[in-house]
Amino acid sequence: MKKGLILILLGILSISFLSCQRGVEQTSGAPRIALVLKTANNPFFIDMQKGAEEAAKKLGVNLVVQAAEREVDVEKQMQIIENLIQAKVAALCVTPSGSREIVPAIEKANRAGIPVVIVDTRVDPKTMSESKGKIATFIGSDNYEGGKLAGEFIAKKLNGKGKVAVLEGIPGHETGDSRLKGFREAIKATPGIEIVASQTANWERDQGFNVFQNILQSHPEIQAVFACSDLMALGAVEAIAAAKKTGQITVVGFDAANEARDAVLKGTMDATVAQSPAEMGALAVENAYRVIKGEPVKAEFVVPIKLITKENAASK
Amino acid sequence: MRPRGIALPQHFLSHYGRQLGTLAGLMAMVIVLWALTPHFLTISNLLNIAEQATIIAIIAVGMTFVIITGGIDLSVGSVLAFSGVVMASTLQLEVPLPLALLVGLGVGLLCGLVNGMLITVGRLPPFIATLGMMSVARGAALMFTEGRPISGFSENFRSLATGEVLRIPTPVLIMIAVYIMAHFVLRRTKLGRYTYAIGGNEEAALLSGINVRFYKSMVYGLAGMLAGLAAILLTARLNSAQPIAGMNYELDAIAATVIGGTSLLGGEGTVVGTLIGALIMAVLRNGLNLLGVSSFIQQVVIGSVIILAVLIDMALKKRGK
Repeated sequence: MKKGLILILLGILSISFLSCQRGVEQTSGAPRIALVLKTANNPFFIDMQKGAEEAAKKLGVNLVVQAAEREVDVEKQMQIIENLIQAKVAALCVTPSGSREIVPAIEKANRAGIPVVIVDTRVDPKTMSESKGKIATFIGSDNYEGGKLAGEFIAKKLNGKGKVAVLEGIPGHETGDSRLKGFREAIKATPGIEIVASQTANWERDQGFNVFQNILQSHPEIQAVFACSDLMALGAVEAIAAAKKTGQITVVGFDAANEARDAVLKGTMDATVAQSPAEMGALAVENAYRVIKGEPVKAEFVVPIKLITKENAASK
Repeated sequence: MRPRGIALPQHFLSHYGRQLGTLAGLMAMVIVLWALTPHFLTISNLLNIAEQATIIAIIAVGMTFVIITGGIDLSVGSVLAFSGVVMASTLQLEVPLPLALLVGLGVGLLCGLVNGMLITVGRLPPFIATLGMMSVARGAALMFTEGRPISGFSENFRSLATGEVLRIPTPVLIMIAVYIMAHFVLRRTKLGRYTYAIGGNEEAALLSGINVRFYKSMVYGLAGMLAGLAAILLTARLNSAQPIAGMNYELDAIAATVIGGTSLLGGEGTVVGTLIGALIMAVLRNGLNLLGVSSFIQQVVIGSVIILAVLIDMALKKRGK
């Protein structure tokens, strides 16, 4: 029976080995770059992975993509980074699951002499300066500006008067926090508009549905909702449909995922802020490659954002 | 009840036979990974794996006690988060370090004792009582912090996670100490023997004069306190206490426990087995990362290993009877 256990475990491992051979070709001499995503099951990060893979192919780089099972699991992300350090990858590209919690992992990579490129979510500058951690470069969107664009759009759409709700991301994520700040700034500039509810839906679609359904119960007069991500916005769209209010509430999301673009075309959503995850992924790999080769890189890359409405939703 | 004294080799084999099976499984994985990647069998990677196993391994000790009594504790992940944030805010008041650590352990202990009371005095099934606590403790952690992580601690506190003695990381030493103590408690004390007795046959334990209420509550209290200890180590490791920390850790702890041969029906199990179970999970995750296996396949592999381990365990048990 003991032998049976051994055989079965051997079997499982060899199957997993065979199904991932691409990741193991360490002998080819090409530098190995790792991309650690917050999650591998969100369209935004899937696009980022695609962009990174294309760039890796062009440069002849061996790319390993890893992600924790849950986006909120900062400890698992840290474990993945520790394991990749052990695997002696040449460079790490990381989308931090927590702006502060990522710092100890960066320190470990620093100690091992592995350069770290941070993508999408900024590292908390205070925690970073206290720990003397160092990153090679940051690549991301101007999330503050994106939130502001969304706020201005809603203000215009409501003619400067009305009540709005906000679906926040996971608190402590720099991306969501900056979008929120930008959005609030834009709303503050329009005195007739009031944020009557602002709650987190943890970046998740089903929570977007539930939370917005509850908000609608307590504030049926709401005229617009800004969700800090498209998944949450799409959840809110379903909640609006369930309340038979489709078309009466302005919905603005963030990320311009394909499904959100379709929703904008259909009219169930009004706008979404476009980031370019694929470009971020590509830039991450390209710059990691440059760092490995000892070439200088800029301290920061801001990938442009724009507002997607019915007029421009079709063109990608 | 087992006689005290020196264990004979034969006795040793009959008692630890199943753990030897699990250990053989772990060794097999180590050999396969060693063959597949040069980065696996290095001292720094093995220490890395041990360090990564600590949090789940420590929670799993409490889980083992609870499962041996025939119960389950679904609340440990949330209790970890709650004790973590309460301790973190105590730390930020700049109280002496040991006091803050006691607060962390104390909050965990308290939550665990409430579980125990609900189960013994309130006569709730453990599944329901701890399911409720899972939500209550999580909500309490979120309320307490308004959803935001508390971060930035003294070097002194962080050294609980970053320090090392003879290259061995402090958390690993703490984990080893916890296992030695737990093994002793389970094998050599009243609490340990009653834990088995309650799980084997609660009715009989009650009739033979064991204060089942008291000892059961103690076991849940212990599980909570160990979640508090895990919270201390996790907070030091991440330099941050998050109200959403520890989600699904109860499931990992249950997995480590059952892989280690503890029966969900109660009455049997060892902490040695649980340690091997926790190491199997950590080795598996580490190996799959080193190999660059896609995260989706990783989940399938980990799930399959859990199922297989228990299937084999059940087959072994049948044969033993």
